[in-house]
Amino acid sequence: MVAVARGLDVTLELRARLDDLYCAYDDALNDGELERWPELFTDACVYKVMPRENHEQGLPIGLIYCESRDMLVDRVVALRETALYAPRIVRRITSAACVRAIESDGLRVTANFALFQTMPDRPSELFLCGRYQDRIVDDGGMLRFAERLCIYDSTIVPVSLVYPI
Amino acid sequence: MGNDSREWPDDGCSRVPNWIYTDPDIFARESDRIFGASDWLYVCLEAEIPKPGDFKRSQLGSREVVAVRDTDGAINVLVNRCAHRSMQVCTASRGSIKEFVCPYHQWTYDLGGNLLGVPFRRGYRGQGGMPADFRPEEHGLQRLVVTRRNGVVFASFGAPNESLETYLGDRMLGYFDRVFNGRDLVVLGYMRQRIPSNWKLMFENIKDPYHASLLHVFLVTFGLFRLDQKSSVEMDETGRHAVLVSRRGAQETNEATAQMRAFKPGFTLRDPRLLEPVREFPGDATVVLQTTWPNLIVQQQSNTLAMRQIVPLDAHSFDLAWTFFGYADDTPEMRQRRLRQANLMGPAGLVSLDDSEAMLLSQAGIDGNDDKVCVVEMGGRAVANEQHMVTETAIRGFYQHYRAVMDL
Repeated sequence: MVAVARGLDVTLELRARLDDLYCAYDDALNDGELERWPELFTDACVYKVMPRENHEQGLPIGLIYCESRDMLVDRVVALRETALYAPRIVRRITSAACVRAIESDGLRVTANFALFQTMPDRPSELFLCGRYQDRIVDDGGMLRFAERLCIYDSTIVPVSLVYPI
Repeated sequence: MGNDSREWPDDGCSRVPNWIYTDPDIFARESDRIFGASDWLYVCLEAEIPKPGDFKRSQLGSREVVAVRDTDGAINVLVNRCAHRSMQVCTASRGSIKEFVCPYHQWTYDLGGNLLGVPFRRGYRGQGGMPADFRPEEHGLQRLVVTRRNGVVFASFGAPNESLETYLGDRMLGYFDRVFNGRDLVVLGYMRQRIPSNWKLMFENIKDPYHASLLHVFLVTFGLFRLDQKSSVEMDETGRHAVLVSRRGAQETNEATAQMRAFKPGFTLRDPRLLEPVREFPGDATVVLQTTWPNLIVQQQSNTLAMRQIVPLDAHSFDLAWTFFGYADDTPEMRQRRLRQANLMGPAGLVSLDDSEAMLLSQAGIDGNDDKVCVVEMGGRAVANEQHMVTETAIRGFYQHYRAVMDL
């Protein structure tokens, strides 16, 4: 569901397209279809994951810091073929997205996320929660993320962050 | 010791008993003898608290401290515990202040931890108040001995009988100064992960070059750290500190890589900018991982630099706190390179992800098997510097010192 900040003119059609984008994002990652994930970004996208403490202090380091769709693809291939990790299910629940501004370089949209992790033979538990800060553009008729910044609230990641947020 | 049958299984360090990773009594002894004695513990970088009044909380072993820049530029490290009723005095993780005020009864301390004021110390209208012989100077915040070298702050709970320089020894000091050569540092950001395994497994991991050629596809395939490259494992005289040093190699099939399942000759990056390191340190080493007893790993892998601080929580868990940094005079391109290469490190690192997951599995295998031992004799049973990676010598060096300190 997409909300719109007061005073912005966003058509119902655009809201529906945004809904589709957010839904496709959640589906790709919740279903473990990592290969579909980079397709939702532009070629020159920026994707970053960082703790809130870095964001608030203007510190640039990210746990994941990709500067192109190719880097997203590289990460997916690395996770599939090179990394060692215990199997797990990570399910995200994303709140209603809210269009905050319409700028010449894209829509500024935010949403909240909660990630729940289920390890084999363990109860499900809250893994990370936080906020997406997105810039979304029309890329040849498709809405795509030109920027997705994933800011998680805690300073501490339980063990490791395997899959993208 | 809770269990009198705790006896080290050999007369050296090529066998490590599993109970040192599980026993709460051993953990308590480590807290006293390793983290609470007179060793130099890593606290923070000076660049994190540049101005008078700037403070940052940190954890040394299981004790929480506050590092604060004093008005004269000195750095004080104070235990975060009010002298009155042991309440945490400082609740923010970082910030800037003029004095510390305990939230409970507003006892007030200066930046050196000296007790400045006690509300109603003389009572109210002749009633109550502290006894006449109460001496504020005896009730300050506990203050650690502090030393600094080229922007890095260390502190000790005891009275160190040696300077940081002597503590590190000439060889380790040389490697330390290679990264910390006096250039101003800039903090690029933090990462932190909680790993359900014993803290010593983290040190073992970074003292073990043997695993890197087998476990880490990324390091192996792209030649970032691989045992067919010119390498060395070096320690100080005691064995407590170590470095792994190596030089980058090519993505080529040879006698060594042919034996590595992790070597993927056909694996290429679609965006190779991730791995375009630039030489920036003297000499031909491209990676130096330095482990400093008892809580610090300094990471220089290509152009990514980080302090990794080990914070033991209990026998079965620790936090690994990463502080990524660069130099104040880095070009924008170098800054960007450091951010990019950080993709290899941290809780989501394309390399270090393997390690945190491996430690999880190590502890899972150790738990319930206190009567078993780990075999640490790759490269022999001695503790000696080596010019190759097919060795666990630095793990043996660590336990040689550990046994002496722990009286085991």
